[in-house]
Amino acid sequence: MARDYDHLFKLLIIGDSGVGKSSLLLRFADNTFNGNYITTIGVDFKIRTVDVDGERVKLQIWDTAGQERFRTITSTYYRGTHGVIVVYDVTSGDSFANVKRWLHEIEHNCDVVVNRILVGNKNDSPNQKVVLTEDAQRFANQMGIKLFETSAKDNTNVEEMFTAITREVLRTKKESKERQAIKTNETVNLRKSTKQHRKKCC
Amino acid sequence: MSTPEQLAIVQSKFTTGEIVVIAMEAMLVQDWLKTTRLIALVNKGSTNALVILLTSRTPPQVYSDLTIEKILPIDQDFQCDIGTDEEQKDVTDVYLNVTCRKSRTIFEMRPGITTTNLVSAIFQAIEVYQKNKNPTTDFLWIQKLTGSVRNLDSTNDRLLSAADPVIELESSDLVVSRRNIATGKSPIGTRESVVRYQMACKEDDYTYTKTLRIFIGTWNVNGQPPNAITLEQWLSSDEVPPDLYAIGFQELDLSKEAFLFNDTPREDEWRQVVAKSLHHKAEYEQVALVRLVGMMLIIFSQSSHLPHIKNICIDTVGTGIMGKMGNKGGVAVSCCIHNTSVCFVNAHLAAHCEEYERRNQDYADICARLNFQTYVPPKGFKDHDQIYWLGDLNYRITEMDAQTAKQLIADGNLAPVLALDQLEQQRRLSRVFVGFREAEIKFKPTYKYDPGTDNWDSSEKGRAPAWCDRVLWKGEPIASLTYQSHPELKISDHKPVSATFDSKVRVIDVTKYRKIHEELMKKLDKLENEFLPQVTVDTTEIIYETLRFDEPCAKELIVANTGQVPVKFEFIKKLDDTSYCKEWLSITPYTDFIEPGQKCDIKLEVCVDKRSAWKLNSGEDKLYDILVLHLVNGKDIFITVTGTYERSCFGCSIEALVHIPVPIREVPIGRIMELENNKNTSQDPYYVPKEIWLLVDRLYRHGIKTPGLFETQGLHSEILAIRDWLDNGSQDPMPGSVHSVAEALLLLLDSTAEPLVPYNLHRIGLSAATNYLQCKQVIMQLPEIRRTVFLYICAFLQELLTHTQDNGLDAKTLASLFGSFFLRDSPRSRDDRNQRSKSTQAICDRKKAAFVYHFLINDQSDFVGR
Repeated sequence: MARDYDHLFKLLIIGDSGVGKSSLLLRFADNTFNGNYITTIGVDFKIRTVDVDGERVKLQIWDTAGQERFRTITSTYYRGTHGVIVVYDVTSGDSFANVKRWLHEIEHNCDVVVNRILVGNKNDSPNQKVVLTEDAQRFANQMGIKLFETSAKDNTNVEEMFTAITREVLRTKKESKERQAIKTNETVNLRKSTKQHRKKCC
Repeated sequence: MSTPEQLAIVQSKFTTGEIVVIAMEAMLVQDWLKTTRLIALVNKGSTNALVILLTSRTPPQVYSDLTIEKILPIDQDFQCDIGTDEEQKDVTDVYLNVTCRKSRTIFEMRPGITTTNLVSAIFQAIEVYQKNKNPTTDFLWIQKLTGSVRNLDSTNDRLLSAADPVIELESSDLVVSRRNIATGKSPIGTRESVVRYQMACKEDDYTYTKTLRIFIGTWNVNGQPPNAITLEQWLSSDEVPPDLYAIGFQELDLSKEAFLFNDTPREDEWRQVVAKSLHHKAEYEQVALVRLVGMMLIIFSQSSHLPHIKNICIDTVGTGIMGKMGNKGGVAVSCCIHNTSVCFVNAHLAAHCEEYERRNQDYADICARLNFQTYVPPKGFKDHDQIYWLGDLNYRITEMDAQTAKQLIADGNLAPVLALDQLEQQRRLSRVFVGFREAEIKFKPTYKYDPGTDNWDSSEKGRAPAWCDRVLWKGEPIASLTYQSHPELKISDHKPVSATFDSKVRVIDVTKYRKIHEELMKKLDKLENEFLPQVTVDTTEIIYETLRFDEPCAKELIVANTGQVPVKFEFIKKLDDTSYCKEWLSITPYTDFIEPGQKCDIKLEVCVDKRSAWKLNSGEDKLYDILVLHLVNGKDIFITVTGTYERSCFGCSIEALVHIPVPIREVPIGRIMELENNKNTSQDPYYVPKEIWLLVDRLYRHGIKTPGLFETQGLHSEILAIRDWLDNGSQDPMPGSVHSVAEALLLLLDSTAEPLVPYNLHRIGLSAATNYLQCKQVIMQLPEIRRTVFLYICAFLQELLTHTQDNGLDAKTLASLFGSFFLRDSPRSRDDRNQRSKSTQAICDRKKAAFVYHFLINDQSDFVGR
């Protein structure tokens, strides 16, 4: 069956409870925002098809419950994930402090190759902002991941952030494909050389 | 569908007086979706109606396969007309357009006698109505039927379909009808076709046209090699270089080898000559080359256009000997130039003057058989926006003698000759090249000449001149510029012909395309998201107040389907759990379907019983569980279940109980856990747990002479009362009948983590069963407390047996009863029980009874004394 996309990727949104994971997803998938806080008790997903550099990528984005008591259960949803979006709330120092733990969760539960992105959400009221961009950026640099400050409410940087992680996932996929191609070539070459070797022996 | 039996099945949907005149299958066309329906003409008195039925099987086998979907009365609002797809003459399906009360329904039907009969029956019915002009009251029977349709279908979903499927035809903004997605008929898998269809509909919004100069050339070279000739006079006589060349040859090679093996050196010779002779003002590259025996078609394009020519695909059709061989037939190239699909066909049709019907047939065969496989699904000849047809079509002039024709031609008076051209004649009769156009012929016939000259054929046959070599086209917008022959090229008995066109192709504006595509994607994504299973639950936290041993407590969880599709939900296992919930919880139903707008009440019952109580006492488990409510193909919802367990002596180990001198409820939970884990035991424990002593004492005092003791069931409520009496302590006498007390004793023995004879001695115990001494040794190996309890209970049972004449008990019954508790199977072997054969289980049970039996019939005083 013909498909209307070139790639299908699974993205996962994690982070403390109340940082706006569901809002980010809702903004990206449905372009809506609901100011009322409804805590996610479970794991939900939505799809969105995007065009990244001329390639049609279908994203299945999973939104997880952030509450501590669900952590062991949500860890099972990391499997098969291509990209993880770690979200904190720029108005909550605790949520930023917990990013390390979330990154650790990824390391613990994800397959080897997984792209990560750090997102500081609720970046819409400068007065309440407590996590400074410089601090977050420094941390992101240390971890070797990209930082995006977004606002699901004002729809700032959301599209850009999702595009960025998608692009990274796409690049990783291509690189691994290339590596595989090189590997196969190497094997072929090796075989050839052994053959030649044998001939000489004879 | 017109067999009497099948008609009878349809008839069975109607009552007396409603006669099914005729019924047949038809495809209901909803945009590009086609679904099978049954349409029937039903007559009652002087009125008629067209009934649309859904059928779960085609043809329907039984009454229940059919559901009446819609009834259209044939009255003043009813209109019906027949159409075939005008664009595609080759398609022979009949389309029945029915309009009734402003909604239009289209059916596609196979042509045939049944269709003809149905259509004529409908038209007759319309005539009948127009004659009678029945009042609306005559159509009341339809309302009754419609009413019954609605009543028949209880669920919302079906109501929808019965209500008005036709309305959807017009109102659907997105072409996939929502109901079709909802019922799984057009799953997300068809998105690709939706996208293609939608994008095709909006083509004008993201394309602009661009004019390409197309050169078409055809030449029958009569098997001659291109020795020392060039083709500039033919191919580049124009001032403007064409953007695209399509050059066809016939009779490239007349040798047997070429015919038999389809292999010829001429192919490359001619190709090279062509390549050399293309217009010098532009750079060209070959796009495609296709050859079948002597027919060859080469496409060249200016290099700059090459990246925009895609999906290049070739095919050949032989219509020669046996209707297969390649001495006659056609070769074709299909491609997409920008966003316009173009097909070039080079044909060599049947020869001989009188054979114009064969030529017509060859044309039809080529049209029907051309098939371009690189497309999914494969593209046929007719599926192109633009078609250029060139070649030696071989149509002649037979109704004028050669001499007259030659004279007229010599005088430059072509019109009377052309009027008798077979191709002109056949096209006028629509026998061939329907929909094609040809430019006006202003050149002399291109056949037949003495090779090397411009003289008409001087051979014996003296063939009449004819315009064998032609170029036709189909599709918009193509403007013909020139149409001429090139007599300068003399090596063949034919003269080459060329035609040039300005063809407008649609070019995609990438930015606009992206934007429209993205909008469409968003729309589809939204639809897809909307059609994910969606439910809401009334709560995600279920809290049980106080839970007591063996006292079930149920709570309800309401799951409502708030989405648009039917939902299948299921509680699933999480992590490494063996079950989807803890053993003290039961969920009914744990999986089910919910239709949209419906709900499901799920019963969650917590019951801490003999299997789970000890785990809660020992702290191994808590009354806490997170359930994962999974929607198939959708999200998961976590349901937290919590409760407070009121600890009880039931489920406590004997070892712990002997260290508790007060009612258990007075002991802090931590202390019980300590004792269960054998920590901080007290200095002087009881010999037997006070609970066992209290129960036995009660039986000894009040039940020793009761007939049927241990054989009569107790009352559950009384057992619970006894439980509370034991756990809380009381000055009142123990509640309940002796039978309830007896059962409470057994339950107490049964709810410990391990039986009195622990699992590690289970096997030894069973193998020792026949031998009293060995059994004694097993008992000797028991920890002191357990041994004491064992002998204590046995002593009590011996006492009971001294009153056999009153209570009617016998040692064997008691032995088998208590055997099953003293030597309880381990939970693992309990699970194995299903696999274990009944006979093995019976042997095992008999051994347990034998084991205990020894201790009921032998004097134990010396044993106790030790």
